[in-house]
Amino acid sequence: MHLILNGKPWQVECEPGDMLLGLLEREGLTAARATCGIGVCGACTVLLDGVPVTGCITLAGQVAGREVTTAEALGGSDPVQRAFATAQAFQCGWCTPGFVLAARALLEENPDPSDAEIAEALGGNLCRCGSYVKIAEAVRIAARELAA
Amino acid sequence: MIGVDPRVSGTQRYSVHVERPGMLHAAFVRSPHAHARVLAVDASGLPADCVALLPEDVADLGRYGCQARDQRVLADVARHAGDIVAAVAAPTAAAARAAARSVDVTYEELPAVFDAVEAVAPGAPLLHPDAAESAGEAVSIGVRPLTGTNVCHRFRIRHGDAAAGFADADVIVSRAFRTPGAAHAPMEPHAALAEWEDGRLTLWTGTQTPFNTRADVAGAFGLRPDDVRVVAPPMGGSFGAKTFVRLEALVAALARKAGRPVKATLDRAEEFLCLNRHPATIRVRVGAKRDGTLVAKELDCWVDTGAYADCGPGVATKMGYAGVGPYRIPHVRVDALAIYTNLPPNGAYRGYGAMQSVWASERTMDALAEELGMSPLELRRRNLLRDGDVFATGEVMHDVHFEECLDAAARAVGYAEDPRGAGLCVLLKGMQTPSRAAVRIERNPVGYVVRSASCEMGQGVRASIRLMAAELLGCEPGQVEVPDPDTDTSPFDTRTTSSRSTHMMGRALAVAVRDLRANGGEHGFGEVVNEGGLDPDTGQGIASTHWHQGAASARVSVDEETGKLTVERLHGVAYAGRVVDRAGAELQNEGSMIMGLGTALFEELDFDDGQVANANLSDYNLPAPGDLPAGFTHELLESEGAEAHGLGETVLPPVPAAIGNALASLGLDVRELPLTPERVLEAVDRR
Amino acid sequence: MNQGFIDPDVLLSLGAVDGLGRIEAGDGGELRLGAMATHRAVERAPATAAWPVLRRAFSLVASPRVRNVATVGGVLADADYASDPPAVLSALGARAVLRSASGEREVGIGELIRGYYETCIAPDELLVEVRVPPQPEAAVYRKFRSRSCEDRPCVAVAAVRDGDALRVVVGAVAETPQHFPDVCALGAGRAAEIGAAYGERIEPIADARGSAAYRRRVTAVEVRRAVEAVA
Repeated sequence: MHLILNGKPWQVECEPGDMLLGLLEREGLTAARATCGIGVCGACTVLLDGVPVTGCITLAGQVAGREVTTAEALGGSDPVQRAFATAQAFQCGWCTPGFVLAARALLEENPDPSDAEIAEALGGNLCRCGSYVKIAEAVRIAARELAA
Repeated sequence: MIGVDPRVSGTQRYSVHVERPGMLHAAFVRSPHAHARVLAVDASGLPADCVALLPEDVADLGRYGCQARDQRVLADVARHAGDIVAAVAAPTAAAARAAARSVDVTYEELPAVFDAVEAVAPGAPLLHPDAAESAGEAVSIGVRPLTGTNVCHRFRIRHGDAAAGFADADVIVSRAFRTPGAAHAPMEPHAALAEWEDGRLTLWTGTQTPFNTRADVAGAFGLRPDDVRVVAPPMGGSFGAKTFVRLEALVAALARKAGRPVKATLDRAEEFLCLNRHPATIRVRVGAKRDGTLVAKELDCWVDTGAYADCGPGVATKMGYAGVGPYRIPHVRVDALAIYTNLPPNGAYRGYGAMQSVWASERTMDALAEELGMSPLELRRRNLLRDGDVFATGEVMHDVHFEECLDAAARAVGYAEDPRGAGLCVLLKGMQTPSRAAVRIERNPVGYVVRSASCEMGQGVRASIRLMAAELLGCEPGQVEVPDPDTDTSPFDTRTTSSRSTHMMGRALAVAVRDLRANGGEHGFGEVVNEGGLDPDTGQGIASTHWHQGAASARVSVDEETGKLTVERLHGVAYAGRVVDRAGAELQNEGSMIMGLGTALFEELDFDDGQVANANLSDYNLPAPGDLPAGFTHELLESEGAEAHGLGETVLPPVPAAIGNALASLGLDVRELPLTPERVLEAVDRR
Repeated sequence: MNQGFIDPDVLLSLGAVDGLGRIEAGDGGELRLGAMATHRAVERAPATAAWPVLRRAFSLVASPRVRNVATVGGVLADADYASDPPAVLSALGARAVLRSASGEREVGIGELIRGYYETCIAPDELLVEVRVPPQPEAAVYRKFRSRSCEDRPCVAVAAVRDGDALRVVVGAVAETPQHFPDVCALGAGRAAEIGAAYGERIEPIADARGSAAYRRRVTAVEVRRAVEAVA
């Protein structure tokens, strides 16, 4: 199967029943993490043709010929990532890459979201450590950064 | 490139990411029955490249357990649905799971019991007939099992004369409360990897207790502690779930049989079978004079510790004394029983028993206030401990700030002006006592290496150690390296629990830096000991060398047609003493409150014949971003010259009681958690 | 598949089938939703602008990430009792188009969803399209959650009034969406009676979100509120 992974052409062998997340794990990409297995927590979020999807319930076969981007591709200097770092919007960090991708998707569509819109857009991401207050702050910081 | 923190960039590696060359993956054969003797295990159909761990493979291994040695590497009698009776290792995790499903086990089912109160009734099935025997060998807190029963520990406080005290009371209020089981649900599952080399075992595991784990595993395998090395990578959350031995002895046994390293990672359904929070039934009886002065209090706690004791004795103990509350009461009787049932084992859960008894105790305070016709705020103020007062354990209180915490909480919701729809809670919680912490510092070309066995699980202990060390050493935090805990190279620390690490490591660092300066500036070692403990028969002694003190307040509204409760305002107050890492401290307060909100409003394990019926994150709800109340605030109280106080748990326990009391102020008295709309609606019907 | 409940030999993707994702206007002012149209697309397509209650129901499902992928056909064929779109589609009088090698047939949502994860779709049929009549002005969707704001519904009520004709469909309380035309015939002015009748008539299930008895109580309240909102 051929696809573009983090900007580079990628050829990979997989079984029909494999999920995209498993493929990424085998490739050593660990920012998307197996967590709930049913698509509710967002910790395995990846971008498929630029749009966030759930890695653990996306069949590998569905991404043939398409573009998959993981949080690693942001490189650490993305404005949303910097905002999360500035706001210290994380504790253990397990859920953080998923939140970053969700926040980016929100700001791409809605550059000036209200607090309610932020909570709604990030509602598919769970943080058991409870960093939501600072995560919302990070989104507001990123919104200001991107608007400037 | 100096990029962002690896936790933000996604390059952070956790305990699940450890790999060793040639490793196999483990999968477990779990009993479907809540209580059953294992008669036969047939793994004959396994593929050639799989290794099975069968009862005969572990017959030489001893029992283990941090407070009662009641666990075996493989259960010979399954004591809960999900108890592990055999295991398999295979080249891939998928192959291991398939192989585990093919193992055939024959069971003889036994009667089971799923409730702590029922488990101490006559005729209840006994889970550990030899409980008394195992506790005799156990370390730690002076475990007191009751022979011939399911009680693995009974904790007592006898302070003054409760009977006499009640005789002297003008008003007596008595209430019973229940709290359910709950899941820690860390985002990262449990993971452990074992590798043997020349008779020495190395374990890489997500754990909060590397030295306990080393001792328990060494004991099980008949090794000296030095022959076992435990390395603790950072965890993607734990909240107590990864405390004491969980998978370590199993993967070690599998690795021994396979002759290769073996790694185990639990899936989400298994997470609900591994370790949960203690359900409790608590009866409170409190007596006061007409003017509100408390004269006597009795607390009876039935604490469901599940199939294995784990640290149930410790939890029952802490639940027992936290339930007295931060009050001056001359006559106190507490009896807290840690009881075996055929539910999955329960263990350390953020708050360590305090949430359950604070729920019961603080709800009863409001009931008492109502009986007396007094304001709940005034009733508490009248009785709060002050410096120099004696607590129910006989210890003299110092550095006391309960009134400050309570007042701040009351102010935040305008309680005095408008108590209707508002609720308060003030609490004390202990810090692991006795305990020991040590730290070693080594100079290196860029700065220093600080070796500490404090385990990182998101609470920010490494950042705190870095900050404290940098301040003492006069360098930048970025020059201080804090490697993963490793029992080979990290000095002894009791464990990373009980919100003790910043406080204890801070003190140990001060000693270590003095040592370093006195000895040429290259090496320093510092150890501090926290003395104390309680007499298990009277509950007298030193429960905690310093107390975690806090409060919470809430304002709620209710849709009385559906019972849906809205928390409009929630405020948490923690006495921090001295804040080391401000953002980190705020995150701990916020995180504790959010977890408290889940406990208060919707988190509950549904058991069906001992099976967890809601073992996934859709049927079991965790708080989501939109669940935060519109008004969600907190404070960290400090005072000049104070020492750092633990913050990791303090404002979780008061949240359910504050919300429950707010609800009660509307005439809606719910005594069971969570405060589901269904329960609230029943209270509306009753009113 | 992730939980090991099913292990199919063959998986067939509909992703490359031309035209299955279309959202467009059809005959007589109806809306045609292709089976592969995502929830996100339904929320935003210009063609759905005149169906605000439909947009709302689809937008309430899960999270943006899930809605990027979940489809119209998927949610109906799955027939999960706790999903949002079926009750609203049913209240709007939508029909599912089922196509096989031998032809096509249309079924109402009530006929389509037969039970717990069970539909009337034959093994050789594919759900290809959903046709939705114009939405009358008075239409509302209420989603009652008993736990987290991200929880699936405990009781979901879709109410649509077109002149004197009232359709109320309750989802998430029973195996199938619940609709009682004889009760609705009382008319939108009798909201309390309709609510009470629905509360009595449903055969509720119990799950993590509430007991059967609780669902009866809340159904009565939420149906009354929905009818009041469209009256």
